[in-house]
Amino acid sequence: MPNEVQNEKPQLTVAEFIEKSPAELEIKVLAGENDLGGKKIESERIQKLGLALAGFSRYVHSGRIQIVGQSEISYLQHLSENQKYEALGHLDFAAICCILITKNLNPPPELLKIAAEKHLPILQTPLVSSKTIGIVTNFLQEQLAPQMTIHGVLLGMYDIGVLIVGDSGIGKSECALDLISRGHLFVSDDAVNIRKIGKRLEGQSPDLTFEYIEIRGLGILNIRDLFGVSAVGKSKQIELCVELKKWSDVEEIERVGLEMKEEKIFGVKLPKVVLPVSSGRNLSTLVETAVRVHLLRRAGYDGARTLIEKHSKIVGGN
Amino acid sequence: MPEAKLKIINPLGLHARAAAQLVRLAAKYESRILLVRRDSAVSADAKSILSVLTLAAARGTEIDLSVNGADEQAAIKAVVELFASGFGEL
Repeated sequence: MPNEVQNEKPQLTVAEFIEKSPAELEIKVLAGENDLGGKKIESERIQKLGLALAGFSRYVHSGRIQIVGQSEISYLQHLSENQKYEALGHLDFAAICCILITKNLNPPPELLKIAAEKHLPILQTPLVSSKTIGIVTNFLQEQLAPQMTIHGVLLGMYDIGVLIVGDSGIGKSECALDLISRGHLFVSDDAVNIRKIGKRLEGQSPDLTFEYIEIRGLGILNIRDLFGVSAVGKSKQIELCVELKKWSDVEEIERVGLEMKEEKIFGVKLPKVVLPVSSGRNLSTLVETAVRVHLLRRAGYDGARTLIEKHSKIVGGN
Repeated sequence: MPEAKLKIINPLGLHARAAAQLVRLAAKYESRILLVRRDSAVSADAKSILSVLTLAAARGTEIDLSVNGADEQAAIKAVVELFASGFGEL
């Protein structure tokens, strides 16, 4: 991709996790209130502490949320005080980012005491373990998705995310403005933050420039002020890439439309259309049509293929 | 205005991919490039894909080529060579 790409290894502090996590988790902090900002969650996967408490602590990963449920609590409860300290001694508290206790279970006071000493946050949720794990994993998958920034414009057209790329000055923003005035959704101009969530590519605007576009000659414009609240969208799943290119830079101009180009972002293949730009070609109509063609192809209909098949029958070739 | 006689020698005829090759080549020249089927007098502008497909030229079809414009000599040479090479299929 002919764009600047910057990759970050995402992480989340426990404080951010509590602040942003879905409300249904109703997280309460039982210990380590002052240490929430310093502890980092680095993986969307969770772990259960059961085996580690029983003595096998080799596979405890520091960047994962440790879930403690009914079985762990019952196990600790049946131990004598000394045994409890011994079981908890198997754990390297400093290396764990946080413990999340489910079902509003009350942890033994020994656990809270050691956690406070070792600066380990202990959290609690009313949900049962299986439900908690599902919600936490989904949430973390989104938050910790790998992210990059691409130079381009993102629009929502006919409910799909369309990423418009091309050299600067080629007319991406002007094309976007034209499409917005035709009723399409504006997501981001110039920089698009793209996250890979599962096999999807989710694009959104950087917080600072959300709703803003720059048009040469007009300056910085606020799209919501100009076109109304329904003209801007927070994020969109990217399904199609349109590259605008100077006519002289296009090596091979597509004339039939049977072969589809691809763009790879985070290893996800995105169908791509290369549109040569020149005066007298209405770019927004071309982009709009490219999206309609994509929608038809996605639904299994390909106009070019139908004609070529008809033609092949007459010519008697393949 | 140079002219030439062409024959389609590639097995698949002037199918979509070959037609696209011809159209791309023709677009590089300023001259007007005209193809006429000898048996039916159907004519086609070599710069238009739909026009070229309309010829529906299978293997063995004979075509009259005429080129008219500033770079006609270079253009006719290139088109003749493309047909002679069988559009890279031989």
